[in-house]
Amino acid sequence: MKARRRFAVAVSVEGRKLLAARVPLVTALLFVAGVTAICTSVTTAVASGSTELVAKLGPLVADGGWTGYLSSATQVIGAAGFLACGVVLSWSFGREFAEGTITGLFALPIGRAMIATAKLLVFLAWAIAVSALSTAAIVLGGLATGLGSPDTGAVESLGRIFVLIVLTALMAVPAAWVATLTRGLLGGIAATIALVASAQILVISGAGAWYPPAAPALWAMSPASVDGAALPVSLLFPLLFAALTLVAWRRLQLDRS
Amino acid sequence: MTDAMMLDRVSRSYRGGAGVREVSLAVRPGEVHALVGLNGAGKSTLMKLLLGMLRPDSGAAMIGGVDVRRADARTWSKLGQLIETPLAYGELTVRANLDIAARLRGVPSIERPAMIAEAVTAFRLTEYLNRRARSLSLGNRQRLGIAAALQHEPAYVVLDEPTNALDPAGTILLREAVIRRASQGAAVLISSHHLDEVARIADTITVMNAGRIIGGLDPHDDDLERAFFQSVLRDDEARSEAGGPSA
Repeated sequence: MKARRRFAVAVSVEGRKLLAARVPLVTALLFVAGVTAICTSVTTAVASGSTELVAKLGPLVADGGWTGYLSSATQVIGAAGFLACGVVLSWSFGREFAEGTITGLFALPIGRAMIATAKLLVFLAWAIAVSALSTAAIVLGGLATGLGSPDTGAVESLGRIFVLIVLTALMAVPAAWVATLTRGLLGGIAATIALVASAQILVISGAGAWYPPAAPALWAMSPASVDGAALPVSLLFPLLFAALTLVAWRRLQLDRS
Repeated sequence: MTDAMMLDRVSRSYRGGAGVREVSLAVRPGEVHALVGLNGAGKSTLMKLLLGMLRPDSGAAMIGGVDVRRADARTWSKLGQLIETPLAYGELTVRANLDIAARLRGVPSIERPAMIAEAVTAFRLTEYLNRRARSLSLGNRQRLGIAAALQHEPAYVVLDEPTNALDPAGTILLREAVIRRASQGAAVLISSHHLDEVARIADTITVMNAGRIIGGLDPHDDDLERAFFQSVLRDDEARSEAGGPSA
């Protein structure tokens, strides 16, 4: 079996596992439905004059219309997207240890680094699908709330939301590495929570744009406020952790814990 | 005859000191080689070293004459193994699990349907073919794991306590499958706590204790259990006198 064929098999096997399992499906549904429900609720609350909510979510939300609606969507996605992606990555990598199936992934013609690469690619495909579904659901939610047809600015914001979810998925890659090191799901989920919390703190401190996990959300909310180099530089973060994950899988040993 | 699987003076310590020390073992083609020993004797560690799940501190593990650290896809495609947990994903059906196991071993798509049909027949899994693995009993999951390890007719077989969770019928199916593989030329390394079962299938029995190989047993011995415990007791006493590690 040639290397390209082996890789195709690894991607196909991982894709089959992800499509058949409940965790990625339930996470995707909860994320899409949750984000849409929260945004439409916020927009409805703002329209009915909730000043407390406006104070918490910022002046853009107070604008109402598509601008306010998509601003709240971006804020919600910044945190919820991280958690959803971290859960699915932790599941994909950590389950092999938690369920004991990792032993079956040794002594195969397909190396473990190749399997880990396949897991990351399948996860990215999941994230792109979730992003497309979420963007579509947000549009439908806006229309259902009576916001009318989105204008040019709203269409650009929707495009950024689509990109934001994909970038957020990339920034969650450390969860795969930590799940591997800790041999289970919970370590990856804890790492995700740490990333979300640290991003929030650095955004409040004003240094968020140069902190990769925070950069995509800041860019999506206000592209002009983020240095042009910050977003491309942030992509080094998932690349580094993807490389660390592949090395960890290639060098994996099943010591007694 | 060339050894199909071999460990040459392999040592490997875990944190805390347990592990295996200076272990050498060879399994020939067509041979069923059984490893017996008490819990913690080092049987699983030895098998993990042979399969590259652990890297030795010293010594070498070889499969088909190739050091496992440098074994290529062709070598691994001829191996079937089950260590600790069957490769059975709960969300997939029995058929899908067998299919992905075959694909991961590089079995061409044209051969897979007949192979899977034969495996489910051999391990009496036909009625569960379209059931998800999570709904199977522990014993049937184990049957599925063994079927996944053996369906591609590997030349090298490593099975760690394969009778775990199997009912008597499953044990007989396993016995038949192992003997069939060996009769077709496969080298089989199998660990077990069931000395009666080992006596029925093994050509060679190696005893491990406290991380070392301490000798062998004759599979035709009328009182295998007694011979086993005598062997372990002698070793424990000898190490105790020498101030060595206990089992």
